[in-house]
Amino acid sequence: MTAEQVLKELEEIFRDNFDDDDIVLTRETTADDIEDWDSLEQINLLTTIGKKYGIKFSIDDVSSLANVGDMVDLVLRLKA
Amino acid sequence: MARTILIVGGTGDLGLALAQAMYAAGDTLILQGIGDLSTAQAFAARCPGTHVLACDLTDEAAVAAFIEQVKAIGMPDHLVHLPALPVVNAKFKNFDEERFERDFAVQVRSALRICKAFVPVMAKAKYGRVLFVLTSYIMGVPPKNVTAYVTSKGALEAMARSLAIEYAANGVTVNCVAPSMIETGFLADTSSLIVEAAAKANPMGRNATVADVVPAMCFLLSEEARYITGATLPITGGSQM
Repeated sequence: MTAEQVLKELEEIFRDNFDDDDIVLTRETTADDIEDWDSLEQINLLTTIGKKYGIKFSIDDVSSLANVGDMVDLVLRLKA
Repeated sequence: MARTILIVGGTGDLGLALAQAMYAAGDTLILQGIGDLSTAQAFAARCPGTHVLACDLTDEAAVAAFIEQVKAIGMPDHLVHLPALPVVNAKFKNFDEERFERDFAVQVRSALRICKAFVPVMAKAKYGRVLFVLTSYIMGVPPKNVTAYVTSKGALEAMARSLAIEYAANGVTVNCVAPSMIETGFLADTSSLIVEAAAKANPMGRNATVADVVPAMCFLLSEEARYITGATLPITGGSQM
């Protein structure tokens, strides 16, 4: 599994979660770039991502991920 | 004086903890549940006068039969209603109407029918205690993505207030508790991140336990709470006021 694959799959999860097919993720995308991406949505996203990849995030991950790139790297680390 | 206590949803963690706290020798205790009733049955084996009744609250015929079973055991003078389907965290665009109907049947329709069967009898006896378990989600600003759960709980609160005023002159009190997240088996399907986030956000730094909630329930069911009716008591560690 590559970082590019994970980024593409996260993009689908974001589009579904925020009901917005126009969302395009890059590693630099942050909560400032997506309306409604607050801490509750972060929990929803991590819950969905955790289910998809069979991984478990910690509560600290909710606030410690600075951007989508950090999210991708964490997914890869937890899957390794 | 011996009491007849009906706890609908009485076989889960909170219901059983309440049953244990309320039970006194000579009482009749009726616990409704569904699914695995073994813990409740073990409790009943230790506490004479306790009856465990299985009833699917989404099934109207089953609820009618359950009411008749309760009547055959004894007319309750204490009624606690706390069942709900597990909370679904979903955006409104994904609102599942079929599941909402089932949850509404469990939380609200069953409460209406059971109250209709027993509260007027309490009024004639000039004594009764009715208690509903709500959620702190109905206080202030609710969290996002729990429309189904909050809608049913809101309906229950409205019903409780209506019954409270209708029966206030008859010695029957009707109250509610509104706890924040309680760490019980009810959360089995809830994301651990949601549970941990709720604990972290709570002013006391943790979620509620049944031991935090049950004493308040016992008080509202007690003789000493005779002048309290139509109240919703927050049990939240300060997360809602």
